[in-house]
Amino acid sequence: MLGLIYILMSLGLTMLYGIMHIVNFAHGEVYMLGAMGTYFLTVHYKVPYFLALLIVAVASIPFGLVVDRVIFRPIRGKWLQLLVATVGLSMVLQSASWVSFGILDKGVTHPFKFILRFWMATISGERFCAAILGAMLVFCILLLIYRTKLGRAMRAIEEDEGAARLQGVPPNFISAINVSIGFVLASVAGGLMAPVFVVNPGMGFGPLLIAFIVIIIGGLGSIAGCILGGLLVGLIQTVSAVFLGVEITYGLLFALVIIVLIIKPTGLMGHA
Amino acid sequence: MRKYWIQIVAATVLSVVFIVFPLFLSKGWLHILIVMLFNIIYTIGFWVIMRMGYLSFGHAAYVGIGGYTSAILTTMLNVPVFISIPISGVVAAAIGFGIGKITLQLRGIYFSITVFAFGEVLKTLWLTFNKPFGGPQGIWGIPRPSLFGFKFATHISYYYLILFFFVLVFFFLRSLDRSHFGFTCLGFKTKETELLAQSVGIDTSLYKNISFSISCLIPGMAGALYAHYFNYISPFVFTFALSTDIVVYSMVGGTANIFGPVIGAGILTIASELAFAAGYYRSLLFGVLLLVVILVLPNGLLGLFRKGR
Repeated sequence: MLGLIYILMSLGLTMLYGIMHIVNFAHGEVYMLGAMGTYFLTVHYKVPYFLALLIVAVASIPFGLVVDRVIFRPIRGKWLQLLVATVGLSMVLQSASWVSFGILDKGVTHPFKFILRFWMATISGERFCAAILGAMLVFCILLLIYRTKLGRAMRAIEEDEGAARLQGVPPNFISAINVSIGFVLASVAGGLMAPVFVVNPGMGFGPLLIAFIVIIIGGLGSIAGCILGGLLVGLIQTVSAVFLGVEITYGLLFALVIIVLIIKPTGLMGHA
Repeated sequence: MRKYWIQIVAATVLSVVFIVFPLFLSKGWLHILIVMLFNIIYTIGFWVIMRMGYLSFGHAAYVGIGGYTSAILTTMLNVPVFISIPISGVVAAAIGFGIGKITLQLRGIYFSITVFAFGEVLKTLWLTFNKPFGGPQGIWGIPRPSLFGFKFATHISYYYLILFFFVLVFFFLRSLDRSHFGFTCLGFKTKETELLAQSVGIDTSLYKNISFSISCLIPGMAGALYAHYFNYISPFVFTFALSTDIVVYSMVGGTANIFGPVIGAGILTIASELAFAAGYYRSLLFGVLLLVVILVLPNGLLGLFRKGR
């Protein structure tokens, strides 16, 4: 369940890295804005939960386009400037949200009343729904990447940008699409998690950290590695929270990162 | 010859401003100057690794290691402060050496993210283990340093102590920058030049590890001085926000030489205090400033002075 949300978060991150060599520190803030948007739509404007998710997803497309045009495009290809620019964007978005939305925790009312019981496990309705929707979304993105012309263009840019441009792939267009997809994934992940956790402007940081751990373990830019890493990290986190306690989970994950980096510095599925 | 005179005049003016002038300042202003010097010291320590093209996103971790080591040594083991400060610097440098061994083989973004993750994990360790680190409450009652019976209890005495440390670090790093060692390290900026350096027989990983240790040693000692200044530390001081502040200072100032971080940290600390920008407004201001500098002034404030580079 958690693994699928991590996959949603890190899929966008890893696509941004693979195609544009951006490590987006503002991804956690996009997640937060998705959750915040879901909160305001469902609680203040009484919009049904699924419609709110859809509105959030659609609204994050123009947001991604603007960010790409204003910030990413002028400094494309310079990794250091890009990295620092995304940190700046993250600071701006997060502090602007603290200032405008206030410091109180907000809660989204649970959209479902049912609880699933399996042999030993109990799963609440919204967690179940988040897992199903997340899996569907991941499946759609995989279809987009591996079965459409657009996806082939993205993979071509990832493999060799110069050669792809010679074949007529427009890099500006691809990067704009790519940023938008990443933003949609992150904000939907936020919307799906809004009923499960409390909503506040600082909520994006934990998932961002986990997503970084996932893509380092899986290999930066590798989509298969991101899915494998997401499931692995979700599993480790859940199991260690049950048997070892929540505190040392981060330590365990970081130890895993170090081991992976020593054995294979490019991650499990990454290529140089 | 003219340039020589300019340097002498600048040095005199600076020493008057920073040595004589603070005698007439109020406690509040002295506090701001001390915080400014702390920020400058963190940033020039960070710059040692930054000038090699490695962007460390977790430098608050080494500040924190220094602060915690010194706090634990002085409060629980009663070690004299002037012995515990170098020890905490060495501990930070040793941990930095170990982290560098693993992470410095990685280039660019991989390095930045791994160092960032390490900083976060360290913060969770401080938060969760009550026994030596005090958990979320942190450690109270860290003593002020004293030397031959003189206790650095007032703001002005502590200001001179930090200023002395800063001058020491500044000239050490400036001579390091101009030394053979520093010049060699500049060659590790890209993969190709690093390979070239290897092929003429330079042990590049040793050079990089030593640079990273130095860049952890200085924030470590500064972190210890920080703990003894505030008499209190908690995990919430050494967060990602401090790491990003350090990055902002050095990017705004420029990283071409050592004056960039000094200018950046100095101007930004004073400016944010003058604008009474605290908390979220402060990070909003810094974020906007960072984006503007990245998009408009790629070489930072230094780029304004030297058009050629």
